[in-house]
Amino acid sequence: MKKYETVIILNPNLSSKVETFLKEFEKLLKQHSFSINKMEDIGRRQLSYSINNHNKGHYLIFNIEGDSLNLIDIENKIKYNESIIRHLFISVKEHSSEDSQLLIDSKNKKSDSEDTKEEGHEKKESNIKKTKKEETTDEEKFSKDNKKEEQENSDEITKEESKEEEKDE
Amino acid sequence: MSKYELPNKFDYKNVNLLKQFITETGKIIPARVTGVSASNQRKLTRYIKIARFLALIPFTDMHN
Repeated sequence: MKKYETVIILNPNLSSKVETFLKEFEKLLKQHSFSINKMEDIGRRQLSYSINNHNKGHYLIFNIEGDSLNLIDIENKIKYNESIIRHLFISVKEHSSEDSQLLIDSKNKKSDSEDTKEEGHEKKESNIKKTKKEETTDEEKFSKDNKKEEQENSDEITKEESKEEEKDE
Repeated sequence: MSKYELPNKFDYKNVNLLKQFITETGKIIPARVTGVSASNQRKLTRYIKIARFLALIPFTDMHN
């Protein structure tokens, strides 16, 4: 028997179906004679880089205990589950009974901004999309402006040249 | 002698702590700069690399 810590990052679009996933995962663990000592649902979190075009992920942390040989079978089954973006199994000497720092941070964030329900998330995402669009339009404007300036500059140069030519004459 | 006071127990989930030991570009800061003990620096590098894999910390600042 070995103690493991498991982190699973779920597809954020499926975070409403977390409970069904949890049941399936618990079944899978029980089939391979694993026991769950603790489960932490950290919830949605901003990824610091995009994984498979996802910018957010639903983090789950498990403290599990079982045989190392069975772990390979579990990992093989998890690999082909499309709702999981990323997973990690680490062997640990001892399980800590306290809440992890990630869970505490996420709780603090939630208390700071109370309107972090799913509707709010969707609104925020739409806002982000809008701002992105605006940025692109701004860039286009910039490029246009630059072109105009270049044209003006070239015009001025030609004028100056013509003046110089006149002086020469 | 450490500039930073490290807790006795920490791991890859203490993201705010780990962020103090990487540069803006995401590199791990050497112990000779931070003054962390050798054993703690080994722990830090291990946990930073795990946290990077879990997208808690960026690998670089060049991510899209």
